[in-house]
Amino acid sequence: MDIDPQTTERISQIFKEKGVLLENDKIESKLKLLTTDFGIAPEEAEKMVTNELMREHGLSGPSQQSSSAPQQAIPISGASPGDWVTVEGKVVSLSSPPSEAIAQSGILSDESGAIRFIVWAKSNAPALEERKWYRFESATVDEYRGAPSMKIHSGTTITHIEEEKTFMPTPVPISELKPGVSTIRAKVVQDWEPRHERMFQSGLLGDESGTVRFVTWKDDASVRIEAGKVYNIYYAGVDEFQGRLSLNLTGAMVLEDEGADIQVASGNMKLSGAFVHMGGGTGLIKRCKVEGCNRALSRQNYCPVHEIQNDFRYDLRITGVVDDGHKATNVLIQREEAEKLTEITLDAAIEMAENNPLGFDDITMKMQEALIGRYVECQGSDIDGTLLVKGCSLVNYDSTRHADLINRASVSPAGGEQ
Amino acid sequence: MANGGFSRPAGSFIREPAVRVFSAELRESRLQFRDGEDEKSPSFVLLPTGERSNRIFICGEVTQKEKRGDQNTFYTARLRDPAGLFFLNAGSYQQEAMQQMAKINQGDFAAVVGKPGIRETPDGSIFVTVRVETITPVDRDTYLTWIDDTAEQTLDRLERFGSTDDSKKASEFYNTSTEHYRRIVYESLVAADI
Repeated sequence: MDIDPQTTERISQIFKEKGVLLENDKIESKLKLLTTDFGIAPEEAEKMVTNELMREHGLSGPSQQSSSAPQQAIPISGASPGDWVTVEGKVVSLSSPPSEAIAQSGILSDESGAIRFIVWAKSNAPALEERKWYRFESATVDEYRGAPSMKIHSGTTITHIEEEKTFMPTPVPISELKPGVSTIRAKVVQDWEPRHERMFQSGLLGDESGTVRFVTWKDDASVRIEAGKVYNIYYAGVDEFQGRLSLNLTGAMVLEDEGADIQVASGNMKLSGAFVHMGGGTGLIKRCKVEGCNRALSRQNYCPVHEIQNDFRYDLRITGVVDDGHKATNVLIQREEAEKLTEITLDAAIEMAENNPLGFDDITMKMQEALIGRYVECQGSDIDGTLLVKGCSLVNYDSTRHADLINRASVSPAGGEQ
Repeated sequence: MANGGFSRPAGSFIREPAVRVFSAELRESRLQFRDGEDEKSPSFVLLPTGERSNRIFICGEVTQKEKRGDQNTFYTARLRDPAGLFFLNAGSYQQEAMQQMAKINQGDFAAVVGKPGIRETPDGSIFVTVRVETITPVDRDTYLTWIDDTAEQTLDRLERFGSTDDSKKASEFYNTSTEHYRRIVYESLVAADI
């Protein structure tokens, strides 16, 4: 990064007033070191270099004044990764820190929005308390899983402020969620069993605009939410992982909206394109019979939660990708539709599997032959980027479309090249 | 759409769509580039009608299938569509594609999902190959539907030509005559009727 000559000039001017003449090269190289090698923001680097040179020349004064001159706090919604910021806000939630290097983690909010923050243990910052207002000077903002995250380090000045403002966060429609911190009003559409021992609860939330998956990690204050009920969820973290959003309810304030109901967007989606890829979970599978589990077992009958389950039930499914030339969409086709499409019934598949050691592979291969490269039309609900197929059929050749295309191709576009 | 390749968030995985293209157009592609610095950044072939393609979906009749190589066997084949030939290959590092290639018969109609690549032969001539991801036999109706699908998407690209970033790049690089590709589409559609 190039140093703005004006910055150098400003520093040089401060010292000239004090009767000290500095070489511009020296100032510049110091600035360069901080901005280029350490990635510090130019304004911050200017302050640091000035202070350092002041100390070097046994001066004090303007630097003290300038650093104590109150810096304008910016709205929290304006904090973006890479910034050094001064913000004022209310600590709306604290959660137990995931690592010893972190003293506290939580969410800070003002009228404009909310941001996640982390207080490094090394910063020696005073312990923050929930529901209190603080001013943070010179905190840094970086990005974690696509969302801005504020870091409180040893150079951050924290002051408790007394003035209390009240504000209510406004719920955001699920379809408009972005990585960061958000407040939503949503219904619990599905309650999934946790897939991980640190996980407290996971599932799917929905409102009129769409659906999003959620997760609550084990924490002293974790609240369980119930399928079918509507909740106001304040300050939930929105993470992005592999292109999908996920709501993290750990530490969020969750209040049931008693008796309320929401018409969750069914996400009824139609899709037409070529079936271009078949996924690993395709074919005849075994499912865990423990009540409420229904997970797919491994070939060795292992359920990720209930271990070896030799008493299982068979099922048929297809996972894959339908591609219209512009977008590739994951699809999950359940038994009934899979049977229709491939003309392999569950019973026939079971027979193949039980009488032939390679039966499972044969079934998958037959399904591949029946579907890959074929044009299909599917409709179903869009669950977080995957189409849960309710109806699917092969597309027949359409001679009317063919005739229309010949007409379209036979005309040179107006003003077209020759 | 045409701008799908731009500014996607870091760390997210989005499967690249399979662009529909006739052999005559793919054969005339010469520009291959990577979108990003990363070793894993996807590689694209810029089509003369102005769309980047990391993956393509093609149909045709299988001809000249050959098994080659001694220790590292691989298959090559040609796929004939109404506009000409695609050059297919499947190597031992793609077991599934190799097995499917082994099973397919010359004269079959086949649907292929694969990655286009621009190669230079030792004598300096350039040709475009398709590394097969999957190849499956299909019926004639699927082949005919593919011709219509590809005709439609090529015409759509020609209509957008000049208004998207990729097509501006293509216009600069290939000096594309949209009329030439419209004619390829027209002739392919008519050939399918016979």
